[in-house]
Amino acid sequence: MADGGNNITLTIDGREITVPKGTTVLEAAKKMGIEIPTFCWHPKLKPVGACRICYVEIEKMPKLQVSCATECMPGMVVHTDTEKVKQGRKAILEFILINHPLDCPTCDKGGECDLQDNTFAHGIDDSRFDFNKYRFIKDRKSTFDDVRLGPEIIRNQNRCILCYKCVRANKEIFGEYDLGVFQRGNLTEIDAAPGQQVDSLYSGNLPEICPVGALTNTDWRYKVRVWKAQQVKSICGYCADGCNLTLWKRRDKIFRSSSRRNDEIDEGWICDIGRYGYQIANAENRLTTPLIKKGNKQVTSTWDEAIGLIARKFKEIKDKKGGVCIGGMISPTLDLASLYAFSKYFRTVLHSNNVDFRNDYKMLAEKYGDTFGKMASLEFKIADIEKSDLILVIGSNLIKEHPIVNLRVRKTVTKFGASLYTLNPFATKSGDISTDEIIFNAGTLEALINGICVSLISQKLNASDVDVSNFGSMANPNTVSSASKITGISEERINALAMALGKAKNITLIVGEYIKASPLRELLSIALNNLTIIAGINKKGQIGFLYKSANSKGAEKLGVIPYPSPNLIGKMKEIWKYYPDSNGLAADRMIRAAKKEEMDAMFVIGANPIWAYPDGQFAKDGIEKLDFLVVADLFESETTEKADVVLPLSSWAEYAGDFINLEGRLQHFSAAIKPQNGSLPAFDIIGRITVEMDKPIFESVEQLNNEIKLLLAVLPEKAAQSLKLGEVKYSEEKISPDFSIPLFVTDDLHHYGHHTKEAKSLAAFGSEPYAEISPAMAEKLQLENTEMLRIESEVGKIILPVRISEILDNNVVVISRNFATTPVNILQMRKKRIDRVKLSKVED
Amino acid sequence: MEKKILFKYIDDPNQVDIDTYISHGGYKALEKVLKSMQPAQVIDEVKKSGLRGRGGAGFPAGMKWSFIPKDSPKPRYLVCNADESEPGTCKDRVLMERDPHGIVEGMAIAAFAIGSHQAYIYIRGEFVYPARMMEQAIASAYGKGMLGKNIFGSGYDLDMAVHTGGGAYICGEETALLNSLEGERGMSRIRPPFPAIEGLYACPTVVNNVETLASVPLIINNGAEWYASMGTEKSKGSKIFSLSGHVKRPGNYELEMGTPLSYLINDLGGGMLDGYQLKAIIPGGSSTPFLLPNQIDTPLDYESIAAAGSMLGSGAVIVIGDKTCMVWVIDRLIHFYKHESCGKCTPCREGTGWLLQLISRIEHGEGKPGDLEKIDSICDNIFGRTICPLGDAAVMPIQSALKLFRDEFQYHIDHKKCLVKSEFEFK
Repeated sequence: MADGGNNITLTIDGREITVPKGTTVLEAAKKMGIEIPTFCWHPKLKPVGACRICYVEIEKMPKLQVSCATECMPGMVVHTDTEKVKQGRKAILEFILINHPLDCPTCDKGGECDLQDNTFAHGIDDSRFDFNKYRFIKDRKSTFDDVRLGPEIIRNQNRCILCYKCVRANKEIFGEYDLGVFQRGNLTEIDAAPGQQVDSLYSGNLPEICPVGALTNTDWRYKVRVWKAQQVKSICGYCADGCNLTLWKRRDKIFRSSSRRNDEIDEGWICDIGRYGYQIANAENRLTTPLIKKGNKQVTSTWDEAIGLIARKFKEIKDKKGGVCIGGMISPTLDLASLYAFSKYFRTVLHSNNVDFRNDYKMLAEKYGDTFGKMASLEFKIADIEKSDLILVIGSNLIKEHPIVNLRVRKTVTKFGASLYTLNPFATKSGDISTDEIIFNAGTLEALINGICVSLISQKLNASDVDVSNFGSMANPNTVSSASKITGISEERINALAMALGKAKNITLIVGEYIKASPLRELLSIALNNLTIIAGINKKGQIGFLYKSANSKGAEKLGVIPYPSPNLIGKMKEIWKYYPDSNGLAADRMIRAAKKEEMDAMFVIGANPIWAYPDGQFAKDGIEKLDFLVVADLFESETTEKADVVLPLSSWAEYAGDFINLEGRLQHFSAAIKPQNGSLPAFDIIGRITVEMDKPIFESVEQLNNEIKLLLAVLPEKAAQSLKLGEVKYSEEKISPDFSIPLFVTDDLHHYGHHTKEAKSLAAFGSEPYAEISPAMAEKLQLENTEMLRIESEVGKIILPVRISEILDNNVVVISRNFATTPVNILQMRKKRIDRVKLSKVED
Repeated sequence: MEKKILFKYIDDPNQVDIDTYISHGGYKALEKVLKSMQPAQVIDEVKKSGLRGRGGAGFPAGMKWSFIPKDSPKPRYLVCNADESEPGTCKDRVLMERDPHGIVEGMAIAAFAIGSHQAYIYIRGEFVYPARMMEQAIASAYGKGMLGKNIFGSGYDLDMAVHTGGGAYICGEETALLNSLEGERGMSRIRPPFPAIEGLYACPTVVNNVETLASVPLIINNGAEWYASMGTEKSKGSKIFSLSGHVKRPGNYELEMGTPLSYLINDLGGGMLDGYQLKAIIPGGSSTPFLLPNQIDTPLDYESIAAAGSMLGSGAVIVIGDKTCMVWVIDRLIHFYKHESCGKCTPCREGTGWLLQLISRIEHGEGKPGDLEKIDSICDNIFGRTICPLGDAAVMPIQSALKLFRDEFQYHIDHKKCLVKSEFEFK
């Protein structure tokens, strides 16, 4: 019976159960371990009651009821196993099978197919259907049943049982409308929307939730029978969200990756980069042997020769000039052991603090204790986004930077009714669910934030315990109207956002790459710090200066930066009995030092600064001046080309390790396959070099892990966030009238970093660079889609085909950097907060 | 007996004109409601009148309105269901073509009663002319200040819009209609939640049939007692019946509830066509079970037709003469339902297709022994097991025909020829 109104007691199959109000009969039965077959039900989707296999009998109801869509009511008496129920389920299976091709022997879903399983458990082995089965054939000329819906998705409509899960998830969870339902009755088809492809960032989930073989990934088709594949627990090695994956392998080759649902993080959804990104492990053009530069050519060599040379050269430079003349850049997509070994090697063997994982940020600070660093170390939980009634996203193309955080934000907005405000210099895909999508003039964010702070104060919505009396003198602009003039955002919108912030009970603030990568990151961080204090976000909600890569947070926690926290240094000293005194250089300072010939050698692992550093010419000039460059990577890259020694590196699927995701959650991943093509994991490479130098830094990976544990146990200093308001004065940028259009360089939607172009499936979504502009800009330049656009900055010029964006609506140009043919970063300048360009049409 | 209240001015070609409508007492009811009544009073009045939904289910209209939550902060919507597509039914079409202001006025009153400020009329896609008449009527009502802001100076605002469907029978089902109105695919939704709680855009919504809403101004003008004085105990007022089939004078006739079926067929319809004997009657649209000639005196009201084993439905009376093969009739009907099944839930989607294949082969003399039992069983597996009533609608006439005329089906199977048209040989 009802108890306090929130719990309901009912009887299922003779046993009583108490469940929260709103629980469905199916969920209650599942809790009790009672199995009810389903096809169209999915734990994360609204029930539709379409397949009707989940019939149960409920006393006092004459008809069979679908348990997936029937809410538990007090005193309900449910039977899940009566003759009537069994007959009903058999009838449904008979209906579903009459036009199903039963082509199980050639169907990739075989072995993990709900239709097979449910027929096995509840069906009959004969059919009363004595007609020819209906066959869907898209193209009369074709005898095949397969239709390609997108770069990676094949549909076989004959197998489809019309549970609509794909279409529902696409709409409800991903906010995509590229998949639809066509025709009617038993001719109903699932198909791409007219003129469209199913190619969203989440499209790979659709085959995964298909209960039958109607949707399949080209990636996995016809390669392995599922029962012959082994499953390996893994963690995605790309972005910092930390989705849990299962890698499927057979005979030392990976065949697919799928979601290993973790409700704290991914809720069972992964993005296509996580789904297909594993392909780099088995890619054909992996580096296979170490290369050593002899004369002007890199020639193949052996591990022994390469390690010997590296050890000798580093020792020589260290002895002659000191460790400060050696720099180290490491990719934050590597495991904790590798990151730690790298830091330990540099600090204890080379006596250098020049280590950094932030290889594509402009102008990093030179000392510990900045506001930016403090903000970035604050706690953030993906699942806690759901508690918020207001989400504020600042300077982030969320779907691109954090695809799975993006889904949680979508869910909180569309399912729980939170409001979403986005502050960006250009439109993003979050626009469709934003309460207000604020697109400010590029380079004026601090003015906008000041405006919001001032508005909060003037509307008396500021947190009561903060002294804001001096804020007017600390801020410029310090009125809403002047902020409005500078940013191009009307006073009404600034005031409305301030009002919403003041009224909200729980706020999630997400701060993205545009702030972190900016040379003005400290000023912007202070501005954001002010906002969080004045709006009281620090007390009602969470602040996420979200890290970008799979293990960025781990790299930060382990101090793989030139100036770790004093506590961390203390712990390192304790473990290592040594810590170098010298000041360390951040990634961009290392390049500057190299350019000034103050740095002799560099050790780069998994990173590609010539491609990634946002000032291409500068990075190239610097790195070319090095006497000795060692680069370890999976593939040849712009940086390996310049190297004196190139080492083949293993991908994360080839060894076991740990990542720390953006929440600070430590997650272990197992090795799916052995290191491929003679490559080695980074910690192994470093270990071998230290042995060769007669200064081994670890005896086993266990030793590394134990030391890592000690470092991770170092608590962050108390009151990580500064609660003092800081000075934020906006100064107008001088904009040359010739180069006035803001340029934003980003990853393509289906790519992440410089490796993913080697994943065949991801390349199928996009393998050509392009420049995105707004329709208005295209019209002004008289450009049609795919026509060539010349993009010139003060320092460089490139020509790219144009793509007229569906969402951009202001004067900016956005370029994806992931493609080998176009070095986009030659347009960028390290000291400019906003890179600006001029655009012109290339006439034939 | 024939009772022309909805049809009072149906033959006046000027009735579509707002001035004529007003001169006939039009918009008086709306004025009365807005100036002198509270929403709750309007609902009470309609409840007292005993008006039941004319779309087919016969649910009491006032009761439906009272289900709208009083304290919901969400906007409410009134939707007029003008997706008249049940085979045999053509009453709403006539009202829209010839007396559109009656519908506009009824919608406005209903909207006021449920506290809605936005009303939609969802019109079947094929009804191009009725939709045009409705659009004209709404535009002229706006012009006279009977829609829009501050109607009759009462402070009440109401907007009204026409939405035409894409041509699917399923969109006459209220939840599929709401999906279609939202721009989604017309597929029925699972209930609960009912539209009164989560309807259009997940907001409280009332969906009423055209004829139901057109009756509302009459009730307001003449009083609930006047309306309730007509008809039977549980079926009040008058109803339009669309008579078709093998009768001399098919057409729309408005009758007082409880009038015998024989009066409609023989007196108004002029009896059977020459040379035809009555074989069966479909009393309430193609989805309702058949009545036999000995039931011709059944009164036309909800409870009497139900007692006779069928349903009053939409009031589409289809008369079938003795030269008609019932296998052929059922073949036509199942073809329709198979074609219109939306495809959402399994039993209806797959079951109607399979039934069509079976019935079609019986009709063409290719039936096999056991086919009738198979049809019985498939019907049982569809009936009561689908999301919306389309599944039930598809199998009820089949079940009825197999009960009443099973010999004709058996004859097709056994003799490979038709019992009714015995001269006809299958190839």
